[in-house]
Order: sequence, then structure tokens, then C-alpha cells
Amino acid sequence: MRRRRNKTSDEAEVDMTPMLDIVFIMLIFFIVTATFLDERGIDLTQPPPPPDDLPDTQPKPAITVYVDNQTICSVDGNQTECDRVSLAVERLLADKPGANIILRVNESARHGMLVRLKDEFDGKGLGSKIEIVRNS
Amino acid sequence: MARRSRTVVQEEDAELNMTPMLDVVFILLIFFIVTSVFVKTPGVDPFKPEAETAKAWQPGILIAVNAQNEIWIDKRPYDLSEVRPVITAMRDENPKAEAIIIADKDAEVGISMGLQDLMQDLNISTRVSTE
Repeated sequence: MRRRRNKTSDEAEVDMTPMLDIVFIMLIFFIVTATFLDERGIDLTQPPPPPDDLPDTQPKPAITVYVDNQTICSVDGNQTECDRVSLAVERLLADKPGANIILRVNESARHGMLVRLKDEFDGKGLGSKIEIVRNS
Repeated sequence: MARRSRTVVQEEDAELNMTPMLDVVFILLIFFIVTSVFVKTPGVDPFKPEAETAKAWQPGILIAVNAQNEIWIDKRPYDLSEVRPVITAMRDENPKAEAIIIADKDAEVGISMGLQDLMQDLNISTRVSTE
């Protein structure tokens, strides 16, 4: 013990206290500023419109779901309770297989309804296209 | 001389070994440095709509819309017409960032989708936040 101490007396004891202080301050800073984001989201973005010079194919039938400015839903012009829109759409799809679903939403409708309808369609594997109707 | 007598008296607790604690503190420090994300939180907490098909999303740009249709970015309210330069600045700060629109259930579709159109125009990939 004694011998070793004598031999390395120059570098034997590095004072760690200042470094420890700095490390602690950094640790506290990062703990305080840490924000743990836990966001979940659905994709409402629309694909860009197809180029106009595409050869005209047979237009597909379409089912239009409209949500007006009072957040009242209608499917192909028939007023429907918003809870039953996806059922109504599925029924219509049986008559018109392969139809496009167009979700037309008035800009004053509630955001929650758009998310709910889109989520229902996505959950059933039905692709849908969103159109926002401006009031102007 | 005085020192010597002191070490004799307190010999048991004289040298506390700090190395394991220092190791733990370092590991904690590195963990917090690595996990820290410096995002500008909007400053409001809207009631988000619920959705089943939502997927986890790690945004760098957070934009909130409350039930009064105010757009909140970095704890300041904005109007849809004045928000474009703010988002452009945020994108330039962090070009790879993805964005999320945290809109209230009762916000108007025109605001949330108007924002989304703006983001698409600025080439920022965007999702709509749900519960």
C-alpha cells in the first residue's frame, strides 16, 4: 500500500468532485427539459390528383358521404345518422361493387366527425377520398 | 499532524467510493441526452378525436387547434392566414421534421384541413393526432 502510494503520488488522487457537480447539473437539466412524446395519428393526406392526360377509363361509380356545416351526415343524398354512415355505405357497396367513396365535408363541420368517419372506413379497409367544401 | 489524528478518528467513513454512483449518473445522463427531443410544444391540450387505425408518429413540429379554432404553435395563437411563415421557419430549422396537427374534436374541418393543405404545400409529411 505504502509503496504504491509513494510511487504514483503525482497522479494518485484526481479530484472528481467538480466533474461530478457538472454532470449532476447536466443530468438535472436534461431531466427537466425531457418531453416524452407519445403521439398517435391517422393519415388524412390526399394523394396528388392523377395527371389530366391519362386516358379516360370507364368512370367508376361513386358513393358520396356528405357532412354539412351542422355536422349532419348524408349518404348519396339521404340523411343518415352519423353512427350508421359506414353501414349505409357498406350496403350501397353491395349494389355498386368497387365504387369510390367520396367523403365531402363542409369546412364548418366538426373535425372529430371527419376523423371518426375516415377511421371507420379505414378500419373496414374501404379507401375514401376527402373533399373539403368551402362555403365561399 | 492534525490531519493524521483526524484520519485516525474517522477512519471508517473517510474515503467514500464515488465511482459506482458516478457510473450510474453517467448512464442516466446519456439516457436523457439521447432521448431528449427539443420540440416546441403548442401550449394547449385539445380534446383529440378517437381513432382505431392510428399509428405511432414521432413529430418534430407540433401544431394545435383548439375548440375556438385558434392555431397554437410554440405557445402562441395564430390565424390560418398568418401561420405560413411560422411553419416555413420551423421547417427550415429542422428540414427532416415530420409534423402533427393536434386538433380539437370540435374544431372546424376547414382549419385542420387547411393547415394540412399548407403542410403538404411545404412538403412536410403530416398526420392528424388522435387519442
